[in-house]
Amino acid sequence: MKHTPYWNPKNETMAREDLRRLQLHKLRSMCEWAQAESDFHGRKFKEAGFLPEQLKTLDDLRRIPIMTRAEWMESQAEEPLFGDLVTTSLDNAIRYHLTSGTSGRQPLRVLDGTKDWEWIAEMWCYGFWGFGVRPADTVYFAFSYGSFIGFWGAHYGCEKIGALVLPSGNMTTETRVRQIVEMDATTVCATPTYALRMAQVARELGIDLPSSRVNKLIVSGEPAGSIPAVKRMLEQQWGAQCGDTAGMTEIGTIMIFECSHQPGGTHIIEDNFIEEAVDSDTLEPVGYGEIGERLVTSFGRGFIPLLRYRSGDLVMRMPFNKCSCGRTWDFYDGGIRGRSDDMKLIRGTNVYQRAVEAIVREYDAIDEFQIVIWRKDNVQDEITVKVEVKPDHEESAGELLPRLGKDLAAAHEGLRFNVEGVTHGSLPRFELKAKRLKDEREYQ
Amino acid sequence: MDQDLLGNPTTDVEKEVLRLYGDLKALVAREDAPPCVTRNAGKALACLWQACNDLDLAYEQLYDLGI
Repeated sequence: MKHTPYWNPKNETMAREDLRRLQLHKLRSMCEWAQAESDFHGRKFKEAGFLPEQLKTLDDLRRIPIMTRAEWMESQAEEPLFGDLVTTSLDNAIRYHLTSGTSGRQPLRVLDGTKDWEWIAEMWCYGFWGFGVRPADTVYFAFSYGSFIGFWGAHYGCEKIGALVLPSGNMTTETRVRQIVEMDATTVCATPTYALRMAQVARELGIDLPSSRVNKLIVSGEPAGSIPAVKRMLEQQWGAQCGDTAGMTEIGTIMIFECSHQPGGTHIIEDNFIEEAVDSDTLEPVGYGEIGERLVTSFGRGFIPLLRYRSGDLVMRMPFNKCSCGRTWDFYDGGIRGRSDDMKLIRGTNVYQRAVEAIVREYDAIDEFQIVIWRKDNVQDEITVKVEVKPDHEESAGELLPRLGKDLAAAHEGLRFNVEGVTHGSLPRFELKAKRLKDEREYQ
Repeated sequence: MDQDLLGNPTTDVEKEVLRLYGDLKALVAREDAPPCVTRNAGKALACLWQACNDLDLAYEQLYDLGI
């Protein structure tokens, strides 16, 4: 069996009808657990008049109330630190991670138990094995290993596969590029933007990446990994096959991955998730080939159950048989295609305009501001906050600007913000809906 | 256990996975085992849970065992 292209041949090639029966079984179980152990879900179920025993077929899924990030944040604000979603004693947690919040300084916090953390790695195994990672591989993680969940699960997934894992932690790009070559890495994991940056630095160092042993580049954290033009650029600059994955801190891991057949999209791990694509306004389901917003139900992390969670990601679902790999799992053509809200991804970190605004508005001396997202040297995403200091506070600008930069970084997992003071009156003013965010990137 | 969660007959490998899973649960639940046994068996149990979940043999929460 070790030569199988599937991590789990049984479920990855299961008949769709059986897959639906399996999903229904797990859904009922997770709903019963959530109702019994999570005050948050118990309350929501009651308000919606939903009982887990009403789940007779998978179509009954739509009886379950939709869960939003705003509700989760509200729960955390009312009951710090983790809100009333958690189902078990905090003593059972072995892992804490966070992602930036939608408003102000409060992050979204998640916890995992031992079984959950192992499951997080397991989902990455599905993806990495499916893209061709094997025990003989040497996998390099160009990742900072902070409180942002990022590639943490992938690291443990690769250990589970039996690959040699090279964690790069807090290294310069130059050191990372040299180490990738020196250590004969065969697989490199990074955000698409950072993979392009590493390729650029390699050229500056006179290192020919396509002649290195790297043959797989696995990207995550940004939609660009499924944009054909970017993928082509990455594959050319690295001389490697590029595979996309996507996940969320809220579920702790990936829910979709690109297989080695590269169908132009990412398979849904359907034995562990139910993914729905709905119209963002009506919340009615959309069909194959139509753009919709993802709702995700996870069967993994039981610590904080996620049921019909509104992701904000826009996707286009395609039937499994449009891919030649043999999996019976549907896929998202083009991966994650964008957002239905104002969230922006900068070097893998979520940034909400309203969260930036909430911090900027804490500074009385600032009169107006503008957020500009741009791409440095056509490879590295940057975020600049331009601020106008009130004329009678100009002398404080020298101290204020770096302090604002630190506050913004602290609320965004350490993401570096460029903060620039501009002449008073030079930024646009708005009478109606303000447009304080300019995204100048060619692709996002 | 002769059937998986969907009612299909279990294979020899699946039967063995289930047996080990049950044994590990019992070991983790023991109160007379030292931490080096309980926590290592707990880690192994968390791994076996994945195999049971992957193969549709069992699907349950293990927090009452601290896992």
